[in-house]
Amino acid sequence: MSAIQLSTVTKRFGDIEAVRELDLTVEAGEIYGFLGPNGAGKSTTINMLLDFVRPTSGTITVLGEPVDVAGAGLRERIGVLPEGFDVYDRLTGRKHIEFAVDSKGADDDPEAILDRVGLGEAADRPAGGYSKGMRQRLALGMALVGEPDLLILDEPSTGLDPGGAKEMRDIVRQEANRGATVFFSSHVLGQVEAVCDRVGILHEGELVTEDSIEGLREASDNEATLILTVDDATDDDLDPIRRLDGVSGAAVDGTMVTVSCESSTKTEVISTLGEAGIEIRDIETESTSLEELFLSHTDGEGVVEREDGGTETADVVAPEGGR
Amino acid sequence: MSWLVVARKDFEDAIRSRWLLGLTALFVGLVSLIAALSLPPEGQTVGTNAVLSGGFVSLLSGTLAPLIALVIAYNAVTGERKSGSLKLLLSLPHSRGDVVFGKVAGRSAALSTAIIVGFIVPAVIFAFGPLRLDIVTYVGYTLLVALLVSVFVAIAVGWSAAAPSQRIALAGAIGLYFLFVPFWDFIRIPLQLALGSLPEWVPLSAAAISNALFILNPASAVQGLTGALLSGQFLSGETAGLQVSAISMLLVWLLAAPLVGLVVFQRRDL
Repeated sequence: MSAIQLSTVTKRFGDIEAVRELDLTVEAGEIYGFLGPNGAGKSTTINMLLDFVRPTSGTITVLGEPVDVAGAGLRERIGVLPEGFDVYDRLTGRKHIEFAVDSKGADDDPEAILDRVGLGEAADRPAGGYSKGMRQRLALGMALVGEPDLLILDEPSTGLDPGGAKEMRDIVRQEANRGATVFFSSHVLGQVEAVCDRVGILHEGELVTEDSIEGLREASDNEATLILTVDDATDDDLDPIRRLDGVSGAAVDGTMVTVSCESSTKTEVISTLGEAGIEIRDIETESTSLEELFLSHTDGEGVVEREDGGTETADVVAPEGGR
Repeated sequence: MSWLVVARKDFEDAIRSRWLLGLTALFVGLVSLIAALSLPPEGQTVGTNAVLSGGFVSLLSGTLAPLIALVIAYNAVTGERKSGSLKLLLSLPHSRGDVVFGKVAGRSAALSTAIIVGFIVPAVIFAFGPLRLDIVTYVGYTLLVALLVSVFVAIAVGWSAAAPSQRIALAGAIGLYFLFVPFWDFIRIPLQLALGSLPEWVPLSAAAISNALFILNPASAVQGLTGALLSGQFLSGETAGLQVSAISMLLVWLLAAPLVGLVVFQRRDL
């Protein structure tokens, strides 16, 4: 039985299509990384899994139950760390965990949960005084109550320092070892890369690729990054290139055009640019790293971040080469 | 009983709010002040019934209490939706119905606690002085005021669940207050006249219409009940039937208002 199944799910907010005909399956027992830049539709998808938001069309089942008719009982088997949540300012951390224990009819020891998420010291302080990272830990603690079969974590490392993010990933691994399925979203490649069995990349409401980290790595090995210095180019000029087979992404920053493509497509890219009337002044080629693959799939909007704290954001179109 | 878990959490949250502590203090202060003003000259005593029958207390319980209930409850759902704590709540195995009814119960309990403390503390203090405490009537009166605030909490929470934004929730709460408290007569009297001029074959007597409009408004229904209580005719005497209807109507409000809000809330994206 799959833990999560979305079939041709579309969600429209007014004129905006946040999620477009999304098909996605998460198998029981796996750690699935749901990767994509901010605004790609990750939270909308997760909100639909939780029945916070109803899909415009399509069907969603979680743990084998259709979410629109499952009711609150389904959530006894799910632990959730939602995005954009807030705590109850006047209640202590301990009260929050106790509330989750009572709500799920579980028999967890609040003390043990609080220690596990690193809030043992702060347990008796009102949560209103907690930092963003501590609030995140508290919500993770609430999610862990009752040994859920499925953990749904929306951007769990938000507000955590690198050490905290690592602790969070350790907990994710422990939960997976216990037999839980973990579905977590992130806009940061490094968070997902280190822990996930499988990764889906969402961009503008569509799943653009889905593979294991190894599979993605293999794909990136066959890819090259072409860095071209040109006289002048707009983003629209790159559309013919994007349409070429073998090109996974293209971006422009001033006079610098970066194209991710299969190594065999390089000449075709260059000639297509020439046909578009763009003068090429310099050509550089680099093999593609996993980071660049991610960036290319998201038209340069993703964030890649490693545990050493280095960050490359969308604004940096010119990759420095694989690290 | 998932709604009970929500109710307990909401109660624990609400009793820690400075607002509620302040309101409790205000109630204690106002009731004490009214009692102090009604104190007789040296050597004489005054009964609590006389104090409760005075205009100040009915102003306090009939006008101020509903306002406070609406203020405390109007953002019960919209406030949590705005801050995001509603997501934390609904991530746990609670249905939206548990949330709405749990909040009605939790907030009613918190506010009733404030009312009860507000009435009982001054009574205990003055009982050592020249105040004769008619305990049954006094407790009954306090409980009726608690019921009144609970009904207004239910109405406000229902409205809060249905309202698309916090601003509309607030505007609606203010509107409901003016409808039920200061402006009710402006609506009731024309309505009564209009209904009174119905053709003969409509089986509604003028008295029935007047009574229906009287008990329809929770504020006037409770006023009628406290009046009967203070004159020693609670659930007895000529108006016994009307009093039972008034209590039934209050219970209908208590359940129907959150239910209607819930129906709208069910369909909404968070």
